[in-house]
Amino acid sequence: MKLLSHLLWGAIAITAGVCLGGIALIRGEHINSIWLVLAAACTYITGYRFYGRFVAARVMALDDRRATPAERLRNGHDFEPTNKWILLGHHFAAIAGPGPLVGPVLAAQFGYLPGTLWIVIGAVLGGAVQDFVILFASMRRDGKSLGKMAREEIGKVGGFIALVTVLIIMVILLAVVGLVVVNALKGSPWGTFTIGATMPVALFMGLYLRYWRPGKVLECSAIGFVLVLASIFGGKMVAESASLAPVFTLSAIALALGIIVYGFLASALPVWMLLAPRDYLSTFVKLGVVFMLAIGILFVRPELQLPAFTRFVDGTGPIFAGKIFPFCFITIACGAVSGFHSLISSGTTPKMIAKEWHAVPVGYGSMLMESFVAIMAMIAACVLQPGVYFAVNSPAGVVGATPAAAAATISNWGFPVTAATMAQLARDVGESTLFFRTGGAPSLALGMAHIFARTGGGAVIGFWYHFAIMFEALFILTIIDAGTRVGRFMLQDLLSHVAPPLGRMTWMPGVILTSGMVVAAWGYFLIQGVRDPLGGINSLWPLFGISNQLLATIALSVATTILLKMHGARYAWITFTPLAWLVTVTFTAGWQKIFSPLPAIGFLAQADKLAAAGAASAATQTLIFNARLDAGVCGVLMALVAIVLVDSARVWVGILRGTADTHICEAPFVPSRLQAEEL
Amino acid sequence: MTPLRRFARVILAILRELADENAYRRHLSAHGRTHSGAEWRRFSEERLRAKYARAKCC
Repeated sequence: MKLLSHLLWGAIAITAGVCLGGIALIRGEHINSIWLVLAAACTYITGYRFYGRFVAARVMALDDRRATPAERLRNGHDFEPTNKWILLGHHFAAIAGPGPLVGPVLAAQFGYLPGTLWIVIGAVLGGAVQDFVILFASMRRDGKSLGKMAREEIGKVGGFIALVTVLIIMVILLAVVGLVVVNALKGSPWGTFTIGATMPVALFMGLYLRYWRPGKVLECSAIGFVLVLASIFGGKMVAESASLAPVFTLSAIALALGIIVYGFLASALPVWMLLAPRDYLSTFVKLGVVFMLAIGILFVRPELQLPAFTRFVDGTGPIFAGKIFPFCFITIACGAVSGFHSLISSGTTPKMIAKEWHAVPVGYGSMLMESFVAIMAMIAACVLQPGVYFAVNSPAGVVGATPAAAAATISNWGFPVTAATMAQLARDVGESTLFFRTGGAPSLALGMAHIFARTGGGAVIGFWYHFAIMFEALFILTIIDAGTRVGRFMLQDLLSHVAPPLGRMTWMPGVILTSGMVVAAWGYFLIQGVRDPLGGINSLWPLFGISNQLLATIALSVATTILLKMHGARYAWITFTPLAWLVTVTFTAGWQKIFSPLPAIGFLAQADKLAAAGAASAATQTLIFNARLDAGVCGVLMALVAIVLVDSARVWVGILRGTADTHICEAPFVPSRLQAEEL
Repeated sequence: MTPLRRFARVILAILRELADENAYRRHLSAHGRTHSGAEWRRFSEERLRAKYARAKCC
């Protein structure tokens, strides 16, 4: 039996190696997406079985005899022992946002190989380790947040900086995901109507749940889903109507303003009315679509059309400028390593773990699942013809303002595409044009529509395209309204020290003022992105990636401190290695984004170029200011995280020299009395 | 129970957890109360207030 087990694990590990080797070495022919699926799946299984369990057994010494906070502090609300598979689904739904879908699509400009390797290896050795160790640490500390753990394990500075970093990330995140939606919907009456219709649907669901059928969330979500599907068909009719189509054909600025107003209203209105029903619906749609995409890829097994490497590894990419190192590794954050996950791993989840060993599938396993979502997004992007992929994702400022000019530029790069091909494709999916749809969402929707349509007949590609756009926009808008509300709470908390009434959650002037301030902050960056001649994604997505990875460095610093206190230097490499990599990547990327002499990369060089061009119109002055503002934000983030790193290093040296306090702030051991049948 | 049925039950349980329906049941049983519109609204307000005070992941 043991021999059989060894043979089985050996076979899985060899399959992982062969498939990874295959996708890395095969050149000059299209490879099938199943290679990527097998390489990823077998690497995850091997990593989970050996590395995840090694960390669990040897480093964390997980012990099922020890009562978890869910058992000791059980209150029927936050603290509740939960079946591990249910908790895994809950945790996965909480960590999976638009990041693992959009990042890989953008990074595909380098070809399929760099992003794929980073997603797979980064998740197994970095992202999953971060999520798992933070979950473990929080679970042993009664479910404390990352900020509290940073304060206790490193010092007060770390905790405060974690809070400020989260607030800045929120602002950049909301702006960048807003921009993704704007670029997906601009000039698209079908998409705009469909997404617009989700708002009355959410209001209806809110009333249904509150007054007509209280508590029937699944039933209500099923009705909401049917209504949203109907709105996709309604959108087609609107797009074909001569009188209605112009009403729903909106410019990027109009859409951005609409999203800003929506964010403000959703933040200030009672949550049951709009935010909560929409969130329920988007969670179910998200999980369903991810599952459908996995089935679709396995069923269709499409060939990848993008090469392993494109010419843009030299840093001249049209989607975002910069070389593979460091930009591939910050473009794909969620899906490989995402600092934001540490907030979830130290939020609800540790309060629901029934047995310590459940942290392995929940913490480590969920991240591997999210990484697999990123692999599917990479496949969806790479099944498009390269010319089509670049035509959709390149901004007019780089490839030329007309379809003919853009097609000529992209064809000259070695990726043939014609304006006629793009026009036909746009007609197939019910759009007026697919050129200059930067942001990743439209090309992901196109790739998904190709896969779905091949399972259900090519004639329905228009439906699937808009279904995919609806799916992406639905949960991005949920992030915008929930994020604005969270940002408002953080701001109210901070401002309450200056003006106590502002801290009261029920004082309407305070609510309106702080909601307005948060919306103004991310709205400013959103408008900046819309007006950016390079498409906005070029500047905002790297900023988001850098800030997210910087949060991961804070989480991994906390994790390293805890491991040093537990075992000395023996196992610190487990979190220190991904930490060192992320510090190298993010600080290099941050430095280049600020100081690179190339205007396409460096914010300051961009500002200098605009200033040197003369003709200082108000619009140019705004662009110059924005470039300098972006440089400032990037610099502030790097400085904040550098302070945490220096503070952490001071503590580490003290621990290793024996001069610092090595007291571990864990809750005391209490034997578990939880019975298996209770789960 | 067949593996397929067991799988379906786990999926349904995950959906109920995501829908807060399990949490509502726990709330009723912890406080010894019965379901009513007013009780759901009380539970829902408290639950959603806590839920949307936390950052959503990207």
